[in-house]
Amino acid sequence: MRAGSITDTWHCVTPLASKGKASGRASFAVTFLAVSPTQHSLAYLGIDTGGTFTDFVLVSDGALTIYKTRSTPAEPSRAATVGIEALGVPSDAAVVHGTTVATNALLERRGARTALVTTAGFEDVLQIGRQNRRHLYALEYEPIPPLVDVGLRLGVVERVGVGGEVVTPLTDEEVRRVAERVAELGVDAVAVSCLFSFLAPEHEQRLGQALERIDGLFVSLSSDVFPEFREYERSSTTVINSYVGPVMSRYLGQFEKAMRRPLRIMQSSGGSAPVHLAQRQPVRTVLSGPAGGVIGARYVAGVAGFDRIITLDMGGTSTDVALLPGSVQVSTGHTIGGLPVGIPTIDIETVGAGGGSIAWVDSGGALRVGPLSAGADPGPACYGVGTEPTVTDANLVLGRMSATDFLGGRQSIDADRARDAIGTIAAALDISGEEAAAGIVRVANAVMERAVRSVSLERGHDPREFTLVPFGGAGPQHACELAEGLGIARVLVPRYPGVLSALGVAIGDTVKDYSRTVMAKAPEDAPTVELALRGMEALGYADLEGEGYAADELQITRRVDARYKGQSFELDIPWPLASADAFAEVTTEFHRAHERRFGYHNPAAPVEIVTARVRAIAPSQPPPIERAALEPGPATPRGTSSAWLEGHSAEVDVYVRDELRPGQTFSGPAVVVQMDSTTVVPIGWSAEVDGYRNLLLTSIGVRP
Amino acid sequence: MTVTPISLEVFKNLLVSVAEEMGVTLGRTSYSPNMKERRDYSCAVFDAAGVMVAQAAHIPVHLGAMTASVRAVLDNLELGPGDMAILNDPYLGGTHLPDVSLVLPVYTQDDGGPTLVGYVANRGHHADIGGMAPGSLPIATELIQEGVIIPPLRLYEGGRMNEPLMELICRNTRTPDERRGDFSAQIAAIRTGERRLLALVETYTLQTVHEHMAAILEYTERVTRAAIDDVPDGTYRFEDAMDDDGLSGEPVPMVCTTTVRDGHVTFDFSGTAMQTDGCVNTPLAVTESVALYTVRAVIGGDIPANDGVRRCITVNALLGCIVNAEAPHAVSGGNVETSQRIADVLLGCFAKALPKRMPAASQGTMNNLLVGGENPRGGSFTYYETTAGGMGGGPLRPGASGVHSHSTNTMNTPIEALEFEYPMRVRKLGIRRGSGGAGRHPGGDGVVRELEFLGRAQATVISERRKLAPYGLEGGSPGSLGANRLRRVDGTEEVLPGKATVNVEPAEVFIVETPGGGGWGAP
Repeated sequence: MRAGSITDTWHCVTPLASKGKASGRASFAVTFLAVSPTQHSLAYLGIDTGGTFTDFVLVSDGALTIYKTRSTPAEPSRAATVGIEALGVPSDAAVVHGTTVATNALLERRGARTALVTTAGFEDVLQIGRQNRRHLYALEYEPIPPLVDVGLRLGVVERVGVGGEVVTPLTDEEVRRVAERVAELGVDAVAVSCLFSFLAPEHEQRLGQALERIDGLFVSLSSDVFPEFREYERSSTTVINSYVGPVMSRYLGQFEKAMRRPLRIMQSSGGSAPVHLAQRQPVRTVLSGPAGGVIGARYVAGVAGFDRIITLDMGGTSTDVALLPGSVQVSTGHTIGGLPVGIPTIDIETVGAGGGSIAWVDSGGALRVGPLSAGADPGPACYGVGTEPTVTDANLVLGRMSATDFLGGRQSIDADRARDAIGTIAAALDISGEEAAAGIVRVANAVMERAVRSVSLERGHDPREFTLVPFGGAGPQHACELAEGLGIARVLVPRYPGVLSALGVAIGDTVKDYSRTVMAKAPEDAPTVELALRGMEALGYADLEGEGYAADELQITRRVDARYKGQSFELDIPWPLASADAFAEVTTEFHRAHERRFGYHNPAAPVEIVTARVRAIAPSQPPPIERAALEPGPATPRGTSSAWLEGHSAEVDVYVRDELRPGQTFSGPAVVVQMDSTTVVPIGWSAEVDGYRNLLLTSIGVRP
Repeated sequence: MTVTPISLEVFKNLLVSVAEEMGVTLGRTSYSPNMKERRDYSCAVFDAAGVMVAQAAHIPVHLGAMTASVRAVLDNLELGPGDMAILNDPYLGGTHLPDVSLVLPVYTQDDGGPTLVGYVANRGHHADIGGMAPGSLPIATELIQEGVIIPPLRLYEGGRMNEPLMELICRNTRTPDERRGDFSAQIAAIRTGERRLLALVETYTLQTVHEHMAAILEYTERVTRAAIDDVPDGTYRFEDAMDDDGLSGEPVPMVCTTTVRDGHVTFDFSGTAMQTDGCVNTPLAVTESVALYTVRAVIGGDIPANDGVRRCITVNALLGCIVNAEAPHAVSGGNVETSQRIADVLLGCFAKALPKRMPAASQGTMNNLLVGGENPRGGSFTYYETTAGGMGGGPLRPGASGVHSHSTNTMNTPIEALEFEYPMRVRKLGIRRGSGGAGRHPGGDGVVRELEFLGRAQATVISERRKLAPYGLEGGSPGSLGANRLRRVDGTEEVLPGKATVNVEPAEVFIVETPGGGGWGAP
């Protein structure tokens, strides 16, 4: 294949012979997007390990190549090695790995036995949390058990005050006592989180030094991991770091060794970090699962000319939604499994509706979808194991999904089984199977629409101004109808919706985030902020230069979280460089930002700077993708199939995604099939293949 | 478009989404920590008759009371297009004075002139609304002492804000700037609700929206009735009492006779104490809210929060009794404390209807603490906090420790946020081990919290279960009583009553030990 051109078909769809035993292993490689040869000779490889498949995207020699193989959960590096060998990855390639090892260890509570050392009197900080309950009406409310048991919570006599002053000194005897006690407990990990340690970390550091001497103990200090105020959130973040630390540290060590090359790890922020940093702060990866997809979607949409996008990653049990008003939004204040994780994370909302969501009729006669899901196991009825009617079954019954093209034919589809499952709903509602299936799709869309609206509004945006970018197996099936409900006129379906995550993992920047609560209340506090920022900058340079990046290729951003005094919600504002009156500049910009985001501002109210943030970035430089010349003309359908449309059965055109050429157009109703996804183009929508072979769907009707 | 099982579910989502978006806007744009961080607010959508069709899940005690606000507005004002009402009068649609509600009629502008679609409303707890003590939850004898009373009035008339009214309200509070910020947020949320409701009408037509509002109410009534039908028909009586009204020191008995028949529940409060001079009187709206909360909690499932539930519930309470108080009695503790006891009593009735199915009593108080004074760092401050306790043990599991229960679910202020903001230092915040009642499934433990004052201040505590413990069930023991103490500079500790106002000096420490939940089953 010639560099600079676009491949016409899958380069190779036959399963590659893989070394090893499993004969049923499904692997295939395909070159999909050509990129123009550039001065950047460096190759980028993204390895995204999922529960079922491990996906690879290699950006090398002016081409993007994808590869997919079954995951090897017992030893994930085995699948990774298979991919690397199959793709012939150059030895100087930058390899980035997306993993949910830490996430799973946390969610499945398989982490280390962890102790918490905290200011005496506050040992129960994790148990009390914010004192609210997740379910208002549960008379027998069951709280999420803290990661640290009562017997492993240690109070230390010390106290720092709100000005960073020592209220109660930490004595050497106390340090010794605590270290001895921790040693006696025989734990694998410990987290140290003392009140106001972000203002004065010395107490934590002395405790840390003593604890480090205990053999094999994983130690995290809150003043290192997350030096920000709000003790519950900080302690939770630090404890999670320790809890997943030993597992993740071991895993990454083995993985890197198996790869025999330096490795970077995807973080929740959408940037990657070198292995040894990820080993020290694994908490930064626990929400990284959906990050790759967002980065990949932004890349694809950006190249295609769309900056303001809403990504929709619809999987089996849930759907991840992110709103990108020109850039990837990173925020703090996220949770995982009900536990706060304070570190910067891509703004992604997860909705409990996916292809596996189960439909049911409630006691009042309403048709409901979810929250129960058939998940991957047993999966939708049409996969041949489960019997419950799911959203995927409804799509199949409606003819919105091709039984033969699904996963390249590797997953057999039992249409009769799906019909039977949906039949139970039809019988309960006394309507036809198709009507029931259409209802299920409509209700699932309503649930998702509610979530997308809330996500947009929360961030101060009107969804109508965005392009919807669906991916994941089921996203493109629902995207147009969901867009209609939201008043969105444009949907961009990436060429390969199934590997966006690995692409994002491959091309993401190397990023290290630093933060520290400073609580500066007046212009005279500006030097304090400046000092904190400089300290973090120095750390950023040191950390990334230590990885071999040159100082001049690093980008450093300095921002502060500011708020009106007395408020408890911050906006992040750039900190001016070399300004005579930085505080005043931040204040002015804060008023503007507040007006933009909340629709009002209060020029008379004092502004305070809560937290200073530095982000050190070593940008990755993926070679640009070249746009193919368009050959305008109608696309040719493979044929027609019968589908259920607006209340009756009709013939719809079926297009094969791999055969669509740049510039070709067609109109709905149509179904576009490809190996890893099906796109539904409803009546009232037109489709055009762009120069990157993305499918651009536009609503023909007048939009609000 | 006719109502189908599918369109019903779609509209359930659409209407809740209107309420949720109002809530998102309010939370996002509000100013005070009380609203923003503790999320002490609620938003709801009403049909053209003022019946609530959707509410965002925020605070249970607001649940039924929102309808009372809209009803009071309908009874007292004739709102046209461009009008918006404001109110907090507990005897005219409010609950207690800090909870201020806004109500907006939503009109479409068709050729035939404006047509009423319905109402949107929200309610937020303001950190101060004036009155005799900072925080506006004083131990008062008259409503007038608790703050500025706002009967249903037009805040907007013909699209224009009544600025003098807003100014008058804000100037009668201790923190006018913060009030303006929070009112701006409430108004922004109302506008969001209006816009979204009108968008629904535009997409689906007014008739379809109205048909589905009616269908959702019928649906909710249907599922509620079906669920109540699972409770054996009969009459169940339960009695408990409040410690005192903050003045007399005498217990305040509360009695309820609950009758379950044909999918309908009637709560009759005959035998309950008459209203008192103290602050634990409760407007009927609060009592109805708790009744709604209790029924929803007992029947379980995911029944929508709207007035369809209310159709299956009747509350009978003599006008002038403690759970249906009359003006001008003080009510500051009614919403926060009496509401808890009402829940205990109603759940006690259900424990008789459903033996071995209901949990024992939870802490039964919110442990309200209000502090106000001069800030040594300049200016004055007011601070309000409620503190968690133990939940009752139940047939399935032990009670949860250190959480809020029943009619409240507000978050605490992080210690580090509190100390940055106020001249106080938290000395301890921990689980009060052993305070849950013994039982096969013990009650959850309360918490102990020690708060040191760094400057002179006035502190008011309004708390319950300091004399009469949360009950155990099925042989379980009661939870431990709560306690309030003041540690003087010399180290001596003074026990404070459950409801008290004290002047405090620097280095003095307020200690609260919150009650444990009752135990369930013989140990």
